[in-house]
Amino acid sequence: MKKFEKFLKTVPMKLYIIFSAIFVFTFFSNDFGLVDIQKTAIILAAGIDRTDEGFHLTAQIAVPKGSDRNSCGTASINIEGDGKTVSDCVTQIYSKTGWVPKLIFCNLILIGEETAKEDVFDGLDFFLRNEYMQDSCTVAVCEGTAKDMLTSTSALDDTSSQSIEKIFSDATQKSGTNVKNTLKDFSIGYYGRSKSSYMPFVRAFEQDCGADSGGGEGSSASGSGGGSQSASDNKGETQKKIYFANETALFSEGKMVALLGPEETFAYSLLQGKVFAGTMTAEEDGQPVTLSILSNEGKISLNTKNKPKVILSIKTKLRLYNRGVPAPIDDVSKGEISEKVKESAQERLTQYCNRLWEICKSSGCDLFQLNRDLYRTSPKKYAEWKDTILSVADLEIKLKIEKIN
Amino acid sequence: MSKIAPRQLYFFFACIAPLGKLVLLPTQLAQYSANDLLFPAAINFLLQAGVIFLIMLLSRSNSTFFDLLVNTFGKITAKILICIFSLFLIFVSFLPILEQKLFIQSVFYDTLPSTVAFSTFFLFSAYICAKPAGVLGRTWDILAPLAIFGIVGILVFSVANADFAALAPVGVTGAKSIFQSTLYTVSWFYDSAMLLMLMGRFEYQKGMAWKSALFYLLGAAVILLYLAIFFGIYEGIAVRQIFSFAKIGKYNSGVPVLGRIDYLFIFSLTLGLSFYCTMPLHLGVTCLVQAFGGGKYRPALFSVGANLIIFILTILMTYHFATVNKTVNETLCYLFLVFCVLIPAFALLLRRKPREKV
Amino acid sequence: MTSITGVLKQDAEKLKNLLPAEDILTFDFQNGEGLSFQCIFADAVTDKELLADEVLRPLQTYSGKPTTDEVKKAVISPEVRTEKNLQKLADEILAGNPVLLWDGADEGLIVGTKKVFVRSVTEPPTDVVIKGPREGFIEDVKINTSLVRRRFKTPDLKIEMIKIGRQSQTVVAMCYLEGTTVEQTIKDVRKKLKEIDIDYIPDSSYLTHFLSSRPYSLMKQVGATEKPDIFCAKIAEGRVGLLVDGSPIALTVPYLLVEDFQASEDYYVPEYRASFTRILRLFALIVAIYLPAFYISAQLFKLQLFPVRLLLTISGAIQDIPLSPSLEMLLVLLVLEVLNEASIRMPKYVGMALSVVGALVLGETAVSAGFVSTPAIIIIAFSGIGLYAVPNLIEQTSVLRLAMLFVAGSVGTYGIILLTAFVILYLVTTENYGAPLVAPFAPLVKRDLRDTFVKYNIGSLKTRPRTLGSKNKRRLKRHE
Repeated sequence: MKKFEKFLKTVPMKLYIIFSAIFVFTFFSNDFGLVDIQKTAIILAAGIDRTDEGFHLTAQIAVPKGSDRNSCGTASINIEGDGKTVSDCVTQIYSKTGWVPKLIFCNLILIGEETAKEDVFDGLDFFLRNEYMQDSCTVAVCEGTAKDMLTSTSALDDTSSQSIEKIFSDATQKSGTNVKNTLKDFSIGYYGRSKSSYMPFVRAFEQDCGADSGGGEGSSASGSGGGSQSASDNKGETQKKIYFANETALFSEGKMVALLGPEETFAYSLLQGKVFAGTMTAEEDGQPVTLSILSNEGKISLNTKNKPKVILSIKTKLRLYNRGVPAPIDDVSKGEISEKVKESAQERLTQYCNRLWEICKSSGCDLFQLNRDLYRTSPKKYAEWKDTILSVADLEIKLKIEKIN
Repeated sequence: MSKIAPRQLYFFFACIAPLGKLVLLPTQLAQYSANDLLFPAAINFLLQAGVIFLIMLLSRSNSTFFDLLVNTFGKITAKILICIFSLFLIFVSFLPILEQKLFIQSVFYDTLPSTVAFSTFFLFSAYICAKPAGVLGRTWDILAPLAIFGIVGILVFSVANADFAALAPVGVTGAKSIFQSTLYTVSWFYDSAMLLMLMGRFEYQKGMAWKSALFYLLGAAVILLYLAIFFGIYEGIAVRQIFSFAKIGKYNSGVPVLGRIDYLFIFSLTLGLSFYCTMPLHLGVTCLVQAFGGGKYRPALFSVGANLIIFILTILMTYHFATVNKTVNETLCYLFLVFCVLIPAFALLLRRKPREKV
Repeated sequence: MTSITGVLKQDAEKLKNLLPAEDILTFDFQNGEGLSFQCIFADAVTDKELLADEVLRPLQTYSGKPTTDEVKKAVISPEVRTEKNLQKLADEILAGNPVLLWDGADEGLIVGTKKVFVRSVTEPPTDVVIKGPREGFIEDVKINTSLVRRRFKTPDLKIEMIKIGRQSQTVVAMCYLEGTTVEQTIKDVRKKLKEIDIDYIPDSSYLTHFLSSRPYSLMKQVGATEKPDIFCAKIAEGRVGLLVDGSPIALTVPYLLVEDFQASEDYYVPEYRASFTRILRLFALIVAIYLPAFYISAQLFKLQLFPVRLLLTISGAIQDIPLSPSLEMLLVLLVLEVLNEASIRMPKYVGMALSVVGALVLGETAVSAGFVSTPAIIIIAFSGIGLYAVPNLIEQTSVLRLAMLFVAGSVGTYGIILLTAFVILYLVTTENYGAPLVAPFAPLVKRDLRDTFVKYNIGSLKTRPRTLGSKNKRRLKRHE
């Protein structure tokens, strides 16, 4: 017994030495299935395209610029993979490069136009399931294929995804020119009562920059390569792209069913109450007048008393921003909106809202989440109208425009 | 240090006990009762608060639960009963520790780490379990402000993104579903069973019973608010959002600018959780010490033994979490009702004074 | 024990036998009546001039056969004692106090003419202040006690002299305020001091081991200061202070961890400034301990801890580094520790060269050679500076930083959190002389929080810290 007690007395010190040794060993060997920064592919954006066999994934991976602090923007390379599922594509990328693809910094998922015409959750499922993926990343549909969009050379940054992300900044959201959506919110819409949601629609335009212009001067590593790592040098290439997302793709049950034009997108932004620094153009005596929106409140409500009625309310404060023709100095100094301009603005906004509603109705996209609201207010009525609400609901548009001098 | 101060106990009820309900419970509640998730949580909290009130009334005798058992049933029966309680507490600790393991793997690593990484938890657990239960009071003094910092930070970061209308229509899942959800989540509410083991380690003061219940409900209110925000943010995909408290803050507009500063809150809460997770094991070891006597080395041996059991179980069950979770929540929920509600409530009937020898 | 016999020759010989060292000298002389005296003293530690002036000259001119009392009166020195025991007389000689023996005397006369080699009272280099007293303790216990006594003109200040060290016989002055310091604490300290059985005490830091409840603990359990104003403030709060002969560092018990965040200057500047600097110190210390650990655990296990732009910058900086992030950080940390150690020990005139070697050769060149990355140097430099925000805890915090680094490099962020949990648990379970180390936070003592990280106005600090358990609670009376 005494021997045992003696043994116990020495146990803490022995344990201390053993555990210290283990920690020191693992510290020097880093042997915990470790994937450190140097073995990692930091995916900044992912592009999904559907192929005959399944999917084609374009991963835009950030590459370190080293100590070169003179170049601006972010350097990247595009690596592609194919497979029956998105996960297969990721595995292929891993096996091709030896880098472990990390999605935690993936802030953009681009879906090709054709891919979006079928249920996009075939592809998005991987990202929603992945515990290491940020569901706060932006989702967008793009013109053509996602591969082409991501491998295009941006005029503004070395990395196309960074340029695309810039058009979804908070500042642009305030202008109302596009509406951003995240993977989380898109999924909520998809799995919700309305089964509908939206994504911004990105187009690329060629910009003649000249040899010296653009952000990625000489240091660009952007490029594409069919299924293998590539870093083609775009020096000397003058046709660089700039990106636009003033259209919005509407989705119903995961499929893209319609496209909102810039004006309907603007109206939807106003209805979301997001516009604080936007502009709209009205008319006065046949001449264009640009108005600045200083504040905006928007509301979409559903009245279910007898027959469902959708009420779209927009409250804005407008100010004269710019006229298309020269004006007297008095007018320039006051910047006052005339009744005619106000009426014209009102008329235009009504038109936008009507068109927005009609597109939703015709495409079957419950963009305003009417079914969700109906379920929240009255589950019984939801059961009654859930399949027909878009066709039976009446529309009322309430506009309140305040003039600011 | 041997005694826990009333203030420390209140800290536990209001700040530490709620932490255990932040990790997987919200997802499970969303799974069982969707937008009505607040009801089963509230019922369980109220039930616990009631039992805590009763235990505090019982603790006026300043005797330990074991002493009361000895007074009522005699020493041998008391030892058997306390051993059963010990087994229950060791068993209780298993699911939260497994849950903690998955949480750590998901939130603290970018890629799935090896099992060894979480094993370090058992070093800490074995160390704390070998200490007398009285040390818990002081740790709560330190952890309470950290827990407040963490939970308030998470709530502030996430509240603006929540759509509380998602909680409507209220009661749509029906009373049966709410009752079932209450039953299936009762396994996360074992604070009363732990309090029973803490009896006699604090001096009862006037008004402590209702104050304890009130502080517990205060913590419960914070969790209910969190649940509302959680469902308000994730709505239909809430069932997919495990370890939500580590994700919910990232939607704040400040995060893209400053980086994941919400990790500060997550780290504080994890620190508190690490202590909370060891509590059932710690008190299980305390029961064994009561049954078999203490001494210099026995608590350490019991601690190592209990931790070894849970460590082995954790390794064996790593890939069977869903099964374990379902079994504990849906099949063994009655066991929790017995040990965490019925026994503590009926403990009021135990003799408070020793039998006089004839 | 041998006592004095009254036979001069015999007594002197016995005394010399007890002190066979060569530096023990004797001086024989006779007074006017021819009575033989012998003065025995230790050469280097006795002030011979003073001895001649105050003792020898008056006695040589003294006529008659004086009694002990008469000799005492004849000697001009204010510090005169008598002792019969030869061993004790020998001890006094070694302490620098000459012993006078004469024929027929049944007691030896001890004269306090110790030669004291002391430096002047200067500002301590470890605790420099802009505002506030600039005095610092020196190596002489008597001067140190005088510095304390000057600040407490009350009979309640008790200074007990205890000798420790079988061979060094080091004097330890135990200072406390009677009626303010808890009686049990005084007893415990006295008991622990008396139990020390060691040959030699070179410095007060030797005592900390014996005064601690957990002697092998990483955390210190005995407070230390070089400044009399702080020492006295701590005594006034109800602590026991210890001054050790030969050491300028005074000790205080019980010790609370928060003490080391309280700089002396905090009490001489407005409270908002003091609170700000205390919080800054805490922040700097936390950053210093955790920053290198989080940096490598982020690189190895959780990249998301970096904002994406920062991550790309770091990833660019480390791309050609041959070492793993953890090894790189350890290497830089070790270099810093070596530089730190060398700069303390190195002669001042080589210091400049060391800075050049450290900063330029090891820093700049190592980066350009690709051995280490710039972020690693920045992180360690910041951590190194941060640690010195609380200089009294440097030994503990530097070890903690290293431990955090090892855990972060092997287990990652979760390891850091678990180690923090360990440290919390360890701290809350440490008590010394009835005072918990992390009080007033755990256990929470609300009133005592007024002088922690947020310092209240002096008008609000009406009571002594409750944590110390003093019966004499009130410090400030009738102040609105």
